[in-house]
Amino acid sequence: MNIEELNKRKTPVVIIDDSLDKYKDLPLFQEKVDKANEMLRTVGLPKANKKKTRHA
Amino acid sequence: MQLDRYPLKAEESLMVFEFISNGPKGQIPKLVKFSETNLKDVYNLAFGDKDLTTGDLNDLAISNNGDSEKVLATVVSTVYAFYDRYPNSYIYATGSTKARTRLYRIGITKYLNEITKEYYVYGLRNSEWEIFEKEIEYEAFLAKRKNSNFII
Repeated sequence: MNIEELNKRKTPVVIIDDSLDKYKDLPLFQEKVDKANEMLRTVGLPKANKKKTRHA
Repeated sequence: MQLDRYPLKAEESLMVFEFISNGPKGQIPKLVKFSETNLKDVYNLAFGDKDLTTGDLNDLAISNNGDSEKVLATVVSTVYAFYDRYPNSYIYATGSTKARTRLYRIGITKYLNEITKEYYVYGLRNSEWEIFEKEIEYEAFLAKRKNSNFII
């Protein structure tokens, strides 16, 4: 795969940078996460969601 | 659809991404974070500017760096990367202000046909999730990849 083809992919090329590790466990954007939790607690997920069943 | 987007860096788990916005206001580092929520496999997506002097993050900053579409396309590309690693997850997102939520809605609307080939997209309205439709105001958004272990 050449550079042009790589650039056309929807999934991006991502360079792993260990210096970003420090952000993983920090409570970044915590206010938004709290709001999301509150919303998800009251609203839940889309109701039509169901697990796929296997047929014998 | 293939929009111009910025190169991405991430830590190993692909839950934190960084890219640099480049425009008339200079180079502005942006951080994207997928945070676990209280619901299993549901992650909150948030992003903002990183202050180089303090290291603080600001999701209310209006950078006016003339590249909002490229920034949004880059954030969307982090969703593709995230789903490659966590295919069965839901991603929850909302703007930090009503104006920003509207901006996200416009962005989703613009590429809805393309997005819905691979993702279910929901909008939150009147305390209920509904299939995302154009021209409707939503409070938040939820995405789920179609080829996961669930059907909706």
